Amino acid sequence: MPRLKKSLPHVALLGYLVVVLFPFLFVLFSSVKKDNNAIALNPFGIPKTFEFSNYVEAWVNAKISTYFFNSLYISILSSVVSILLASMFAFAVTRMRQGQWNKILFSLVLIGMLIPNNALMLPIYTIVRKLHILNTHWALIIPYIANAIPFTIIILAAFMRSLPSEIEEAAVMDGLKAPGIFARIIVPLTVPAMVTVFIVNFLGNWNEFLLANYFLSNDELRTLPVGMVQFRDQYQMNYAQMSAGIVYSVVPVIVIYAILQEKIIEGVTAGSVKG
Amino acid sequence: MNKALRNPLVFILFVIPALVLFIMFFIYPIFSSIYYSFTSWNGVSDTVKYAGLDNFKKALGDERFWVSVKNNGWFILFSVCIQVPLIVFFSLLIANVKKLKGLYKTAVFMPSIMSTAVIGILWGFIYEPNIGLFNKVLGLVGIEPVYWLSDERFAMLSILITNAWQWTGFYIVMVLAAILSIPAELDEAAAIDGATGFQRATRITLPLIVPIISVVIMLSIAGAMKAADIVIVMTKGGPAGSTEVMATYMIKYAITNFKYGYGNTIAVLIFMFTLVVTALYQLLFARRNERIEY
Repeated sequence: MPRLKKSLPHVALLGYLVVVLFPFLFVLFSSVKKDNNAIALNPFGIPKTFEFSNYVEAWVNAKISTYFFNSLYISILSSVVSILLASMFAFAVTRMRQGQWNKILFSLVLIGMLIPNNALMLPIYTIVRKLHILNTHWALIIPYIANAIPFTIIILAAFMRSLPSEIEEAAVMDGLKAPGIFARIIVPLTVPAMVTVFIVNFLGNWNEFLLANYFLSNDELRTLPVGMVQFRDQYQMNYAQMSAGIVYSVVPVIVIYAILQEKIIEGVTAGSVKG
Repeated sequence: MNKALRNPLVFILFVIPALVLFIMFFIYPIFSSIYYSFTSWNGVSDTVKYAGLDNFKKALGDERFWVSVKNNGWFILFSVCIQVPLIVFFSLLIANVKKLKGLYKTAVFMPSIMSTAVIGILWGFIYEPNIGLFNKVLGLVGIEPVYWLSDERFAMLSILITNAWQWTGFYIVMVLAAILSIPAELDEAAAIDGATGFQRATRITLPLIVPIISVVIMLSIAGAMKAADIVIVMTKGGPAGSTEVMATYMIKYAITNFKYGYGNTIAVLIFMFTLVVTALYQLLFARRNERIEY
């Protein structure tokens, strides 16, 4: 009886796991099946033959490689720049002494967290068009940088606040000025928080769909999520190939997640858990 | 002594770049949206015509706009009434098992790191009428194929299920973090007093995690108000506009139909609705959200 009671939660949780994981398995299996017919006849099971040609077709036809590298460099560049700008801002408002300004500026940025940002899409579209960068990668990079700034500042500022002030006093004694204190003392100490924020921002940019869909019209420039949707619309009838496409776009994220899951979870929950 | 840190010039130089971007992409757009919501502009021509409250009147009388409002409402209802209880239930379960805790926590979170676009495609395949997983399962118990995404009766529900699949784990991890930060002594003391596992969960853990549940509800409301990409990928708002949400309706008007002024009116209404819903929630439910000390 106690054994049964102990295993009951596991039954429920394993059921939930199946719900989470089975869709992936379904797509993975479908991706190596011959055609729609093979999928229809055996939707649940392990494929009888393995058609890896679906992967070749998807990679070549759908230009997944192009989309993949577009996404990669846009996401990395945007995340790095927003961390750089946000850390300067966070350093200024948490460690420099400008009286009320520190508080005012920080609170202003906090407001950014409350704004449902895709309602701002239309004015951003206009800004991007006026800057004449519509339909270039800058149309995504600059809004992505801006978009990540409030969250990044909040996390980095919280971290920087927790550093003891003695280190700065020592640094000043050694003759460092504010930029030196920032670059040589605060930034190196803040690296752990930066890594976490980087991953969260990177994933956000990597997955972003709306701006990427509406701000770029040139196929060569598209990012992975948009490219995948286009691919689906073109090859809707070939579910085996479509599944291979899905696998391509899911695997990198799962690999990143497998390696960094602690950091990712930490970063995503950092802003919200004040239980 | 601290002159180095009082240097206003450095302060300004450090603050400016982030501040400029912030103002350009957060503050200015709000005012710009409000301004254009009172115009009938197509987004390109040189002349911007002032239209007063016309757009707002039009929106309030626009039946299809109200369908989109109602659909945002479904998002909120579904997440608050169905997802939140599941989130709490599974968080409590994971917190109390000894084995496999890490596996559950990791696996459950996985869907939330994936692109909504790709998840929309993946689930579109699962809902596929002839070879998709859902109908195959239903076929096993002898139910006729259902056209999940192209039948007006089921399209919205299908999207809600996908959305829940994607985000439930995200919130579970959040609630779980709050549960695990409760000092173990509380639970142990209750156990010594003879409380059963169920009693400890409902009488001790649950009241202590009310604040985080409140955060989860707020976040799901915010998420429900901005849902758009999943709809665009799965149904494009169809069939017959039955899955349109406010954000997709806004995009459709402003970018596809060149009614930039009206699009901004909808954007402003999204703000106002979000504000009203969160304020209502705060007033009605979150009042006793005092800080909890252990």
